Amino acid sequence: MQQLLNTALGGLTLGMVYAAFALALVLIFRSTRIVNFAQAPMAMVTTFIALTLIDAGYSYWIGFAAALLAGLVLGAVVERVLIRPVEDKPEINAVILTLGLFIVLHALAAVVFGNAYRSFPAPFGIRGFEVGGSTIALTGFGVFTIGAVVVVMALLVALFRFTDVGLRMRAAAYNQEVARLLGVRVGRMLTLGWALAALVGSLAGILIAGGSLVHPGYMDSVVVYGFVAAVLGGLESPIGAVVGGLTLGVSLSFVSGYVGSELVALAALGILMLVLTLRPGGLFSQAAERRV
Amino acid sequence: MTRRARLIGPLAGLVAASTLLAACGAGGDRESDGGGGDSGGSTDIGVTDDTITIGAHFPLTGVAAPGYSEIPLGAAAYFDYVNAAGGINGRQIDYIVRDDGYNPTNTSTVTNELVLQDEIFAMVGGLGTPTHSAVVDFLNDEGVPDMFVSSGSLQWGDDVENRPYTFGWQPDYEIEGKIIGQYVAENMPDAKVGLFLQDDDLGADAEVGVRQFLDEQIVEVQRYTSGNTDVGPQIAALQSADADLVLSFNTPSYTALSQLVALRLGYEPQWFYSNIGSDPELVGSLLSRFSEGAVEGDNSSLDGILTSEYIPGVEDTDNPWTQLWQKVWDQEGEEGELSNFRIYGMSSAYAFVQTLAAAGEDLTRDGLVEALEESGESLEGPQLAPFRYSADSHLGISGVQLVELNGGASDPITPVLGTDIGDAPIEEDSSGQADDAPPESGIPEAP
Repeated sequence: MQQLLNTALGGLTLGMVYAAFALALVLIFRSTRIVNFAQAPMAMVTTFIALTLIDAGYSYWIGFAAALLAGLVLGAVVERVLIRPVEDKPEINAVILTLGLFIVLHALAAVVFGNAYRSFPAPFGIRGFEVGGSTIALTGFGVFTIGAVVVVMALLVALFRFTDVGLRMRAAAYNQEVARLLGVRVGRMLTLGWALAALVGSLAGILIAGGSLVHPGYMDSVVVYGFVAAVLGGLESPIGAVVGGLTLGVSLSFVSGYVGSELVALAALGILMLVLTLRPGGLFSQAAERRV
Repeated sequence: MTRRARLIGPLAGLVAASTLLAACGAGGDRESDGGGGDSGGSTDIGVTDDTITIGAHFPLTGVAAPGYSEIPLGAAAYFDYVNAAGGINGRQIDYIVRDDGYNPTNTSTVTNELVLQDEIFAMVGGLGTPTHSAVVDFLNDEGVPDMFVSSGSLQWGDDVENRPYTFGWQPDYEIEGKIIGQYVAENMPDAKVGLFLQDDDLGADAEVGVRQFLDEQIVEVQRYTSGNTDVGPQIAALQSADADLVLSFNTPSYTALSQLVALRLGYEPQWFYSNIGSDPELVGSLLSRFSEGAVEGDNSSLDGILTSEYIPGVEDTDNPWTQLWQKVWDQEGEEGELSNFRIYGMSSAYAFVQTLAAAGEDLTRDGLVEALEESGESLEGPQLAPFRYSADSHLGISGVQLVELNGGASDPITPVLGTDIGDAPIEEDSSGQADDAPPESGIPEAP
């Protein structure tokens, strides 16, 4: 019973991180039809920026804020400098560019931050809570992780649903031509979209790093699972991304605990194939008429 | 062109024949000559009158680099120390290290470069089970001595017929498992034992050893895949099986990860880590971050944890071997302090230099292997128990000492225990290897 609960809770916490990461992918895909493979190393770089600040004696929260800010800036810069020049070319060009960026950021991080495993502090306790005499695998930091992702998701939904900027971003994503005619500065909206996505990615990076070890490759498995989560949710739907992330996190945790940790990657593939066979558009697909 | 090509055949034959003759002659004359300045000694690829070129593959970058990348620095420092004292039989050792990033594909590439392009005489200390597995057959096909693989897998030493050129060095995981298993069976007969194993040779070999003694005490076995850093489900399974003693055969990063997860789960068994996962300095530096009273800083984070040792470590400052390594590092080392990983590199380099001395002036690849098979068991060095090298076994150090970690230092809880794979009994080591000291010069002589 205790194992069941702890495995589920561990999966839930991890699933929230996958969800945040999937959310970042979905944000970019929705507005530009590009899958940003460089999301993982971008988040890794911002996490290392936070670690450098914390190592220099600043508080965890300054590092945290700096990572999110760095993510915002990095996302905007990548869009303006790398993606904009190939904007009206086929989407695959931009996708390949992000793959290239993946490799470049990896190599740069290894040079700048070193290749060693380093520990990343957590602002809250990393001991599990005690409930009725036994410890459950939910830590203060785990609660913070879940809370942070929920808050960010709520803010994004609010932004898209209830604000002018959100409306303009949706318009720009839906039909650039028409949006331009209506006076939306589409270019700016795209930059903003990338910046917000990178911010959410950075959040995922810093959440999964907290209370654990980081090295330049630590996000690589997250990008795979985050991507699977996003596809599960249909690549279009933020809610789908979150549900996909949670489903994946919990299922993989059970596979690892009850079947064998060597089957985790295989199980992710199995889930992906199953969902794509039954619902080719993902669990939450709706905008079928937009499929090209 | 064709005429020249035709000439080369007989010429090569002539050269070979005369070299062979000279070799025979040199061998016969050695006694009467007293070895003085004869340059007709037979040599081999990678050996000249005044140099020996050797190579190794190590992860200098990537996830396995922390700790392991320091090993070749230690070895290089010791070879420099020997070179500064005139080398071995007048030959300077030229040590080439190539980075394989702990990726078997890269290991094949860099080993090809070392053997075919750099023309090394021998591979010395190539690191890693998955990595070295990729090149061990190539090295044996090419007849390149493959000395002292930096890994405890059995495969380097238990199949001499198929791998005549490969030698292990550190105690294999099976005998480490046996010795730990017997200790637990005798001293903790009521413990409910859980196994936490890396899902490759490391875990598999160790499990064979442990199960010889503990089969009935084991309540749960969990395996993790190297690369998947979420070990939460595995530790949760050990916890729910009520294991109160966990025997862990894993790499250092996973020692830190398992400790962190145990903290999260409120799981407090007695931990018993294998030697390769227990470096207090490295693991301590990884864990020191999570203080807040949860984990103590520095070296004390592994206090009370049991592990094993087979060479003296950096904290044994009274040990004459550690003193020698300190001297070597001060003279020849690069930046940074002496560490256990650097000592590991120096210890294995010492064994290689000793083998070179044993092989004598007429250095050939086959001669080197022969010398090690003949004198292997009597080689002296920092190892606590003797090597097992013979014509039938190429396995390395034959025993370990079990210790408890305290403040980075280790307190022995058993004498040095020696054994061999299979049913060989475990006995207190009587070779006196644990109490020997290096020669004054710090450079081994032929045994």
